[in-house]
Amino acid sequence: MTAAARAAGRAAGGRSVNALKRFTRRGLGTLRRVVRGAARRGYARWRRSIQVRIVTWTLCISAIVVAILGAFLMQQVSSALMDGKVKAARLQLDEGLAQVQRDLGNSAEDGTGRLDAVVNRLKARSGPSGLYEVYIRDTSDRYSDGRATNELREESVPRRLREEVRHAPTGSRSYTFGKLAYVGGDAKPERGLIVGGKSGQFELYYLFPLEQEQKTLTNVGRSLAGVGVVLVLLLAAIASLVTRQVVIPVRLAAQGAQRLAAGRLEERMRVRGEDDLARLARSFNDMAANLQDKIGELEDLSQVQRQFVSDVSHELRTPLTTIRIAADMLYENRDTFDDPAVGRSAELLQSQLERFESLLADLLEISRHDAGAATLDAESLDMRDLVLRTVGDIQGLAERKGSKVVLQLPGEPCMAEVDRRRVERILRNLLVNAVEHGEGEDIVVSVAADRDAVAVAVRDHGVGLKPGEGQMVFDRFWRADPARARTTGGTGLGLSISREDAQLHGGWLQAWGEPGSGSQFRMSLPRVAGAELRGSPLPLVPPGAGASRPLFAELEAGE
Amino acid sequence: MTPGTRGRIPPVLLVAAVLALCVAGCANVPSGGRVVSGKPVERAEQVDDPYVRLIPVRPRPEWGPEQIVAGFLAASASFDDDHKVAREYLAGQTSWRPGLRPSVTVLSEREPPRLVKQAAPGQATVKVTGEQLGTIASDGQYRAASEHIEVTFQLAKTAQGVWRVTGLPDDERAGLLLTKVDVERALRPVNLYFFAPDQQTLVPNGIFLPVVDRRTLPSQLVRALLKGPTTWLYGAVGSAFPPGTRLRGAGVVINKDVATVDLTKEAATGSVERMSAQLSWTLRQLSEIKQWKLRIDGETVAPDGMASTQPVRAWDQNAPDGVDGQVSQTAYGIGASGYLSTLDGRVPQPVNTGPPWSLSRPAVAPDHQEAAGLGPKGDRVLTAAPLKGPVTPRTLLAASRRGARFTPPSWGRDGLMWTVETTADKSWLWARQRGRPPVRVSHWGLSGREVRAFRVARDGVRAAVIVDIDGTPQVQIGRILRGPGGKVDVGSFLPVSSELLKAKDLVWRDYGTLAVLGQKDSDTQDLPYLMPVSGSAITSLGTGSLGEPRTITAAPGMPVLVGTRTSGLNVVCKQRPTRDQFGPWVCDIPARDPTYAR
Repeated sequence: MTAAARAAGRAAGGRSVNALKRFTRRGLGTLRRVVRGAARRGYARWRRSIQVRIVTWTLCISAIVVAILGAFLMQQVSSALMDGKVKAARLQLDEGLAQVQRDLGNSAEDGTGRLDAVVNRLKARSGPSGLYEVYIRDTSDRYSDGRATNELREESVPRRLREEVRHAPTGSRSYTFGKLAYVGGDAKPERGLIVGGKSGQFELYYLFPLEQEQKTLTNVGRSLAGVGVVLVLLLAAIASLVTRQVVIPVRLAAQGAQRLAAGRLEERMRVRGEDDLARLARSFNDMAANLQDKIGELEDLSQVQRQFVSDVSHELRTPLTTIRIAADMLYENRDTFDDPAVGRSAELLQSQLERFESLLADLLEISRHDAGAATLDAESLDMRDLVLRTVGDIQGLAERKGSKVVLQLPGEPCMAEVDRRRVERILRNLLVNAVEHGEGEDIVVSVAADRDAVAVAVRDHGVGLKPGEGQMVFDRFWRADPARARTTGGTGLGLSISREDAQLHGGWLQAWGEPGSGSQFRMSLPRVAGAELRGSPLPLVPPGAGASRPLFAELEAGE
Repeated sequence: MTPGTRGRIPPVLLVAAVLALCVAGCANVPSGGRVVSGKPVERAEQVDDPYVRLIPVRPRPEWGPEQIVAGFLAASASFDDDHKVAREYLAGQTSWRPGLRPSVTVLSEREPPRLVKQAAPGQATVKVTGEQLGTIASDGQYRAASEHIEVTFQLAKTAQGVWRVTGLPDDERAGLLLTKVDVERALRPVNLYFFAPDQQTLVPNGIFLPVVDRRTLPSQLVRALLKGPTTWLYGAVGSAFPPGTRLRGAGVVINKDVATVDLTKEAATGSVERMSAQLSWTLRQLSEIKQWKLRIDGETVAPDGMASTQPVRAWDQNAPDGVDGQVSQTAYGIGASGYLSTLDGRVPQPVNTGPPWSLSRPAVAPDHQEAAGLGPKGDRVLTAAPLKGPVTPRTLLAASRRGARFTPPSWGRDGLMWTVETTADKSWLWARQRGRPPVRVSHWGLSGREVRAFRVARDGVRAAVIVDIDGTPQVQIGRILRGPGGKVDVGSFLPVSSELLKAKDLVWRDYGTLAVLGQKDSDTQDLPYLMPVSGSAITSLGTGSLGEPRTITAAPGMPVLVGTRTSGLNVVCKQRPTRDQFGPWVCDIPARDPTYAR
């Protein structure tokens, strides 16, 4: 086809070809997807299930073994069949050669008629046609290449056998396998066994079609293949059954361990029989019992500790009240002291006492959280009001520090069921922290809400947080700068309590920070108290800040 | 282990035991069991029996003109691939197309070709001489014609320097020059079936058909049948196929024992039933065909009252032996006391009352109403009717010539009675319709010879004779041609077999076989033989002593009876058991001249 013709053809059939191509591509795409999906599912099952693996391996290995066995059996059957055939064929040839010799002995016929007489007798002995064919040659006859029975062609006797027979001494017999060709339009050549021998000037060949043997072998092969398939499937079924016996207890054990890990320490496995699996179950149960004991002990211990802290706080409060009264008195009369140093001490005492009181209050609060005694006193409130109030409270402090509080509040109310006291405490804590670490920069407070949750984010532009500190800020008594005196700042428990408070609502309290870029704390609370929180309406990382590390911080904080 | 499974045989062991038993049972050849019996395979001589082919050789470059001619003659006996190898002996421009049905000149023996003339350096003339036995026409009809022939071949040397045949003898252009052995090998006698003038009985027409391969044999057979009868039977028989009918497409297609014969549309005007009968009888000679279908122009047609797939064994009503050919019938003979008797038991039962008949070689009419026989000296033909009455045979024909005798009368199934009056060098054929005087047949092919026996076949078209050819009694078969105006022509006699040297008596056993009393080359006395009319080898019948056999009779499906004379007594011999071809002869029925009515 020339290029022009090709182009014309393309133009004519272009549309339909394109449509066909598209259709084919789509079909192929679907097919590929389906196959890939199936492969993936299969691979997943393969990875997950011991049973699938064992059954697959059993299938593969038994198929290989059965195939080898089948091939070996076929080989045996085939060689046995051929041996029998060859033996019978050689006997037949012996008889034929003896006949030829007898006929040569009494050469009543003369000339060309003799060969015909011989082959006629051999043909008469061949029984019903189809059992074998006879080909006889008189090597002394120049004008004919012998006689053949029925439609047999002389090429059916391979040249190699002829050479062998020609050069072999009288009395030797040779045989080979070859293809029997026939005269006639649509006669197909068929496989056959050819035996040949020489008697005087005569070469005699018997040709046995192996059609029947081929049929037998095909039948045997088919039966073997069928049996093999059944055997392989049977083995796979057996393997499946056996592994099921093993896998089911293992699965039960895995489920038990999962439940145990989920905190259901009373979970135990059923022990059946005395085998390995029963031993596994028993060991598992022992382990679970030990774990339960140990965890119980630890719980008791921490209970004792918490109780101790709570008790200590309570016990400290009574003497502290007395000390407070005394200190107040001293403070009010500080101007009356002659020595200004004493007055200064009284002031110092007063301030540290305040600090001690707040520390004690925080300790009590946190021990209440630890004991699980903290309760939520929820009411439906607008988060904007809470934020405004809290900001108003710390406005003075901020001005002192030179920071300006910028509010980003939504236009519509952000109602949520929250505990006013706790949320105010959290906000105050965050704002105070922001002011303290804000280095006099602006502090941005944003509020947002969506269908399920409300969020408040407090952003400062202070020193920020180092990587890893986003989580540590919530640790008890953690300080960003250990060298910093305890005189400034809070008790070191504020953020811990805030986080506990947020968690009591079912919400999150998270921190993001970057050295030099400041930090942001975000509080996210569900609108309905106790509901599960799925996401936050505000981003943890403020927009426009950070690239890779904030992400890192977020991941850390999200855990 | 749960308590339930304790105390039972483990299933694995059970399965293993069962498997082991199975394997042990399967792996052995049975050493006992019930007796399985089956029917013997039908071994009637079939056209497609195993045959032998000659493998031709290609011309060798070193061969001279004589060898090229010898090789060509040998190779032309091979029909493989349309004489491909024989054609290689010819120069390119030489036209020679023997085809599938060539005419054949049959030689007794081929003598080596002789180079007679080498005119130019590249030209040669080669002569081949031989004794011709006869010819086979392209329609398959064999005609014996003994003569010495001499044919010449022209040869030339080709550009490649090898000799090739350039000129064939005149009668070789479309034919073959084969020896008797070649013909026996490459050609096969088959029967084509045509209708006798009664339009009911089929007549076999034996021809020689080359066996190219067994696959195309059915098509060849049908094509031969469509071509009509050979010259031998032409006019005596009729074909139901309208003229111009041919075989469509690739020929007869055989699919699982069912052959499909597809004829051209000319056949639509013919009678489906009669065509089916002819085809059925012709195709049944092939063992691989059990059933067949007739199609005309691609449409399957079915004869009235039959399915479209008909068995080849159908159409018994058209059998060459007649409808009653298979019916059991009574043999007659002349009992010891001279009465016509039935020979059913050991003791002949007289049929006629009244005085004993003084006639020999009786023949009973097919309707059992009349009997005919020869007078004591054989020079008179006597008849007696009815059989059971107290009648005396009366003379129907008396020899008018000196020393003339009559052959035993022979009844045709149409009620005609035939007999030949013969002297040592002349003969006359007589035919008689019941109630009319005997008429001498105007055309009698053997009028110049002595005839010892004349038997008309059951189909009424063929007749077998024993005729003296140069002092040797020979079995020949002729045909009866009924011309317009009641003119009858009995002639075209052909020898059947040369194996029997002396024939004494003969009878039709069935349409394809004659039962003949005669001597083979090594025999010292007459013995019964079965002689196929196709010319195949004759077979002897029975074993044991027969005494001095004189007459023989046979009928389809009935035992062959031989009338013989032992120790001065006339007895009839019968084989026991009767069905066995080599069953011993038992001669214990005291009678002579046995005969069957049909």
